[in-house]
Amino acid sequence: MIEIQDLRHTFAIGKKEHERKVPVLKGVTLDVQKGEIVAILGKSGSGKSTLLHILAGFMTPESGSVLVNKKETAKMKEEEKADFRLANFGFIFQNFQLMPGLTAFENVELPLKIKGETVKKRQAKVRGLLEKVGLQEVADHYPNELSGGQQQRVSIARALVTDPPILLADEPTGSLDSETEQDILMLIQSLNQSLGLTFVIITHDDEVANVAHRQYRLHDGELVKGEKRHAI
Amino acid sequence: MQFKDQMDFIKQHMKRNKLRVATTILAAMMGCAFLIILASVGFGMQKTVTDQVLDNQIVTEIEVAGREDGESITDKEVEAMNQLAHVKAVTDRTSPNAEAVAKIGDRSGFAATSTVDMEQEQKAGLKLAEGKIPASADEVIVGYHFAQNLLTEEEQKKADEGEEVSGGFAGSLIGQTFQLELTPYEGEKEAATWEFTVSGIKEEPGKDWITDNTLLIDDSWAPVFQEELALEESGRQVLVYADDLQNVSTITQTLKDDGYYVYSVTEELGSMNMFFTALKAGLIVVGTVAVLIASIGIFNTMTMAVTERTREIGVMKAIGAKPKLIQKLFLMESAAIGIIGTVLAILVSYGVSMLANWIVPKIIMTSLGEDGEGMGDVNILISVIPWQLVLISAVISIGVAMVSGWRPARKATQIDVIQALRQEL
Repeated sequence: MIEIQDLRHTFAIGKKEHERKVPVLKGVTLDVQKGEIVAILGKSGSGKSTLLHILAGFMTPESGSVLVNKKETAKMKEEEKADFRLANFGFIFQNFQLMPGLTAFENVELPLKIKGETVKKRQAKVRGLLEKVGLQEVADHYPNELSGGQQQRVSIARALVTDPPILLADEPTGSLDSETEQDILMLIQSLNQSLGLTFVIITHDDEVANVAHRQYRLHDGELVKGEKRHAI
Repeated sequence: MQFKDQMDFIKQHMKRNKLRVATTILAAMMGCAFLIILASVGFGMQKTVTDQVLDNQIVTEIEVAGREDGESITDKEVEAMNQLAHVKAVTDRTSPNAEAVAKIGDRSGFAATSTVDMEQEQKAGLKLAEGKIPASADEVIVGYHFAQNLLTEEEQKKADEGEEVSGGFAGSLIGQTFQLELTPYEGEKEAATWEFTVSGIKEEPGKDWITDNTLLIDDSWAPVFQEELALEESGRQVLVYADDLQNVSTITQTLKDDGYYVYSVTEELGSMNMFFTALKAGLIVVGTVAVLIASIGIFNTMTMAVTERTREIGVMKAIGAKPKLIQKLFLMESAAIGIIGTVLAILVSYGVSMLANWIVPKIIMTSLGEDGEGMGDVNILISVIPWQLVLISAVISIGVAMVSGWRPARKATQIDVIQALRQEL
């Protein structure tokens, strides 16, 4: 489903005259199968977010290739990338990244609006998803009226609303307490099992990585394979 | 994204920044209203002057003053003019080159005598207050003030001394026979007298200050006067009447092409319109400066909106919104500010225009005296807002609003998703 081949990327640090090149990814190669949860562990600054951003098409790598469903995102134009993301990826962010002016319902509905779905279709879909993540009671609440766990559930519902085959999670429990973290991790596992969704989770937390079928550790720009935790 | 959703999206954002959006709309409204009101003064002046011109003459009348080659206009040529398309009538008035005095009993008075084709005069729209069109050559039509102008010798003396003389011939002139004495201005011939009977009296002139002393005699008399008095070349006035105002310019042009000196209301309005078009264009340009100043406000508001919503834009892009959609949403928002501002400006402009048209003439009247003497019956319009002005102003105002929203909208599309997502909530 996802094939990453010899991915290399360097950041330029400092002012032009004293510019220093810092390599973040030094030939990363990774295959992710359909229905798999893959966790990429790493310390802060290890390049794991860069890997996710390249995978999502937010940035273009210096070299190497990223094939998602056999399509190379790096070669796409911005407009094509947007369409591709809408059809293939759901995003779960550490800070939830909900729209403060929209209710939980409207936040979940947003990708469908962008997609141009009809009101009827949208409402049925959003209601069903809010029920699935256990938020039907707070559908009319704004993000600042929700707890961190509830906000992350809204964020997950939003990621699922367009039925993407792949979910990219960047520190999905980074802003949550340990009890809520467990709830979210269970939700991720249940979604993986019930819907067969593919997850790529970026985390620094071993606890989070434990839900993955496979773990990798990014160390000094290189991907080191961890032990296989579960069978798919 | 469906259009309704786009509109909801914009509405939501505008609601979130009510005060800032309201002040921007206010600025846009003031700019556009200033443009409309300023230009409306040009339109108002043009209407006032045009109405004056049209009020003082028959608008379908085209005066043929002569031939460009200096030759006299012949009867054949007059007939040819009558055959032109959209020509309703051609009046051909010849004034004998002699002093004309009408006499009834002990009263006499100057008569502005012309020999005319009664049928053409009738076609051209000659209207009578009393009587009928002459049935025979000895019958004539006189002007409305003809009777009033017939004075006794004593009254004439008083009038010459500047005293006001009221009266003139009492009773109806219809059916009255009078003597017309013609004294040639040049030549050796003595004065000669003919008798005519009044058949009709012309309608009262539209303007109070016009005194109509005309005497219209059948044109079969023209050669008689010419011969008996051995008159020099007589004054000839050829007037062509179009069937409609819109055909006046075409007929005027045809006559010009045929080598005549022509004057019509379109000629006068043409040069006048050119002046007013330049004036209005100038006023619109000056007014547009106000709109441009207002556009700075729109630019600032939209730039701030983009900066404030950087994270939201980043999220939208991340979850699949195309840069074009982001750009469109911001352009629509600045257009909405422009549209609301323009609609309000149009309403305010009509209000101000009506108020100005009500107050300013009153002020002018007061400054000219209690009853506004000196104004005559001039109807002053300070401001006129035709739909064309509304359209031009709306296009300028909304266009400028969109142009000022363009740069911030472009900036929004270029927002880096990664940077945007890193922003603090």
